[in-house]
Amino acid sequence: MATDKTNLQLVVNGILNENPIFRLVLSMCPAVGISTTVMNGFMLGIAVLFVQVFSSCTISLFKNVIHPRIRIPTYTLTIATWVTVIDMVLAAYLPEAYARMGIFVKLIVAFAIITMRLEMFACKESVNASFWDGIGMGLGFMFGMMALGFVRELLGLGTVLGYDVLGFKPLLFFVLPFAGFFCVGLMMAFFNYVEIVYKRAKRA
Amino acid sequence: MKDILTIIFRLTVACLLAGLVMGAAFIATNKAKKHNIHVNEQKVMLSLLGYSEKKPAPDSVAMHEMYRYLVGEGEELTMGYLLPLQDGTFSFVTIDLAGTFVAQTPVALVAEKATEEGERTQAVGAAIGADKLLRYADQTIVVTDNGKRMAYLLPGRFPGFKTFIGAMLALDQDFTIRGLEIMEHEEDPGLGAEIDQEYFKNQFKGKPLETVKKLEVKKTPLPEEYLKALEAGKSGLGAEEVARIQEQYQDDDIYALTGATISSSAVTNGVKAMVKKFAYRLAILDRVLAEQHIATPF
Repeated sequence: MATDKTNLQLVVNGILNENPIFRLVLSMCPAVGISTTVMNGFMLGIAVLFVQVFSSCTISLFKNVIHPRIRIPTYTLTIATWVTVIDMVLAAYLPEAYARMGIFVKLIVAFAIITMRLEMFACKESVNASFWDGIGMGLGFMFGMMALGFVRELLGLGTVLGYDVLGFKPLLFFVLPFAGFFCVGLMMAFFNYVEIVYKRAKRA
Repeated sequence: MKDILTIIFRLTVACLLAGLVMGAAFIATNKAKKHNIHVNEQKVMLSLLGYSEKKPAPDSVAMHEMYRYLVGEGEELTMGYLLPLQDGTFSFVTIDLAGTFVAQTPVALVAEKATEEGERTQAVGAAIGADKLLRYADQTIVVTDNGKRMAYLLPGRFPGFKTFIGAMLALDQDFTIRGLEIMEHEEDPGLGAEIDQEYFKNQFKGKPLETVKKLEVKKTPLPEEYLKALEAGKSGLGAEEVARIQEQYQDDDIYALTGATISSSAVTNGVKAMVKKFAYRLAILDRVLAEQHIATPF
């Protein structure tokens, strides 16, 4: 079963229709824990993007030799390998970026979104399609994290990207982990509402 | 049965492949990574002493590394210091816990190899005899200017919220804190990770030994003008103004980070313990060195 979507459709699909955070509701732990600022969301998004693309391509390349009963261990192994390799390469050649991102890269091993995309998509599709799906999912995750980060940073710290916008700190509550749940829930409702309005407008 | 065998075989091959990839990446990157860490450490040390690329350290400034070991012999526990001597050789001086001199053994070690932990420990072990238990404790860098002590650099690790926090502390010759730098940590981003922000680290600056000894964490908001002084680079405050405000708050406790009291007090207690213990140990070491007429370059 090959996908009939074009590359662009695959990317857009990851960002909108199947957004990992708001539509698939996967990888909630990082979404709630890390999305305290826009920059944190962006960094984690970049890290996920790379690991997702590399893992998707690897699995799609080896899909015919993976025994169906040990799919999940193989996926985990692949993700862990890529995370470790990316972590080491970053530390060696991009120490500046590593100083800011290192903490996020190590978190990725246990992300549900990556395993799920490997299971649902990469193990059935061509390398090319998996690559674009990986890009779409990574960007979708980054978009979700940054949107959450924006709301939480603005309401919690009064800043955007570290710049003071409001001049005061409205509610520190938003930076704490449990506020992540409220934000995810409210934004999910918002995106669902937008979708309903869009569909209604389309029908009319 | 056949199924299980194929599963075992494939999983083993997959693991071996993954291991190979990771091993190759490790071999390819390890040297560069170690180099980066070393370069970063040197940079941090110089910046804590007030030097930078624009203002390099003068030639009269020298750094002497001193390594502390714990030596166990049966039930007896002594403390051993690996010290560089004036003639370029190394000597291992052991002092018992009561502070009396035990022995001085010459160590065959080349200066370049002293920074490699494995080789260093081996050389020390060979010098004192293999039957003793040897454990590396920590390292101190004594900075001298024209042979006179100028500052101490203490790399250290202490427990944080989740795992260890690595830090580098710079002290004056009278143990006043010159600066604190967080080298590595895994605190929560946005909360505990704020410990590497200027406004937290700089609070330690200029605190004398007496204040550090009873340093606590305080959960009141950071005063506006103090914040400005701590973030002098961002707020653009003049050096004089900064010095005046710093002095005003010099004997204050450390203002905790909002939402990260545990990380804040972990750093505070870590720094407190490092300074206190170092001051105590150095006094003993200095007395022993003077009594035994051991000539070190510092």
